[in-house]
Amino acid sequence: MNSADSKPILRIENLWKSFGKLQVLKGINLEVDKAEVIVVIGPSGGGKSTLLRCINHLERYDRGKIWFQGELIDETSTDMNVLRTKIGMVFQQFNLFPHLRVIDNLILAPKIVKKLDEKSTMEKAKELLKRVGLLEKMNEYPSKLSGGQQQRVAIARALMMDPILMLFDEPTSALDPELVGEVLDVMKNLANDGMTMIVVTHEIGFAREVADRVVFIDGGIIVESGTPDEIFKNPKHPRTREFLRKVL
Amino acid sequence: MAYAFEVTIKSLPFLLEGALRTLQITSLAVLLGLIIGTLVGMAKLSKYKILSYPAVVYVEFLRGTPLLVQIFIIYFGLPAIGINIPRYPSGIIALGINSGAYIAEIVRAGIQSIPKGQTEAAKSLGMTYWQTMRHIILPQAFRNILPALGNEFIALTKDSSLVSVIAIRELLRSGQIVISRTYQSFAVYIAVALIYFILTFTLSRIVRWTEKKVAIP
Ligand SMILES: Nc1ncnc2c1ncn2[C@@H]1O[C@H](COP(=O)(O)OP(=O)(O)O)[C@@H](O)[C@H]1O
Ligand SMILES: [Mg+2]
Repeated sequence: MNSADSKPILRIENLWKSFGKLQVLKGINLEVDKAEVIVVIGPSGGGKSTLLRCINHLERYDRGKIWFQGELIDETSTDMNVLRTKIGMVFQQFNLFPHLRVIDNLILAPKIVKKLDEKSTMEKAKELLKRVGLLEKMNEYPSKLSGGQQQRVAIARALMMDPILMLFDEPTSALDPELVGEVLDVMKNLANDGMTMIVVTHEIGFAREVADRVVFIDGGIIVESGTPDEIFKNPKHPRTREFLRKVL
Repeated sequence: MAYAFEVTIKSLPFLLEGALRTLQITSLAVLLGLIIGTLVGMAKLSKYKILSYPAVVYVEFLRGTPLLVQIFIIYFGLPAIGINIPRYPSGIIALGINSGAYIAEIVRAGIQSIPKGQTEAAKSLGMTYWQTMRHIILPQAFRNILPALGNEFIALTKDSSLVSVIAIRELLRSGQIVISRTYQSFAVYIAVALIYFILTFTLSRIVRWTEKKVAIP
């Protein structure tokens, strides 16, 4: 292992973010190592989405520092578009491009952002669609797919950019219960393949099975973090206990 | 009456030539209006005030003043400060600049009708603002605003009759020329009106057909 590998992929130090008068993040510290899977849990409005969105700079933050692959992200010197190609994001509402066929949803960004040639991009897209079990849907429009299928396409679309880190913001919350499993399966496979992931979810079963670390966020701070066993079997903080009583 | 009918029929090729020019002027003006309108519409939504303020002023001023006055400013006003534009381009520019203001409002609404998640997904894949606009937002927005743009095209076809005042020989002007020779004002104006109607009716059909053609499945 060389020194670059032993450094955390992501390091967040004392991150603060407010929307107007509303203080949403109040000093978040977090380190994520290569191939680590972090599951973030916590009540609605606690700042989980905001944290993810600060990481890929969809949201600017007020204070604090974020290092990605050892490099400090800086408003003036970091090319945010390049940064975002390395950080994949999967949204609660899938956000597929409805005017593009499934296959074009996948190949658009590699083609125009990375300027990769059509042929190799196409092959890669098919490979990824096969991986998420949707190769036969490549020529469909998103509206013809179920929610679970759309979300799997969205994951494949993010993977097209060869991200180093994947962010999932409640990827199964908008799905009918019977469609949750197929999406979680894709995510499990991804985790097993060694992808570094931060997953905001209420799927405690997934967290138990896949997470290396569970982080409980409430009121803009990390109240408690630890292994799934530590958090789910033996939560230390009363707020964690109260939250888990509600979701379990 | 029979004479009026005969005169009108005889002058039909001349009128149709005018109609063709009306179509030409209107199409070019709409094209110009689309370019202006798209840029101004985007500028209006910009977070940078240096872009959004001028865009607001542009739209308000052009919608708040008569098109006829705008035509006069460009064709009769500009030469007074040393800018001479021939009549035909003058007419197109005046109509294009004017429709640009209306189209800007349509485009702005169209962009706003696209859910924020689309922009975020595009950005999260590393797309720049322009790439996001070009490949994600505008293609969807234009599908949504096609009916409104069609209406604008039709309105402009009718408004283009105003450029007859600077002696551009479009449909209305052609009619006036026929009348000045034949004195059959009633029959000829009716013919002119009918030709305008055929133009706008056909356009509305084309717009409806296009709408279906490009609808997202
Ligand atoms: N763009 C925004 N403008 C204003 N307030 C926001 C915005 N985004 C989030 N918030 C507020 O910030 C708080 C945290 O939101 P969020 O990060 O979405 O929480 P969570 O994902 O944990 O439910 C909420 O009170 C929410 O209303
Ligand atoms: Mg959220």
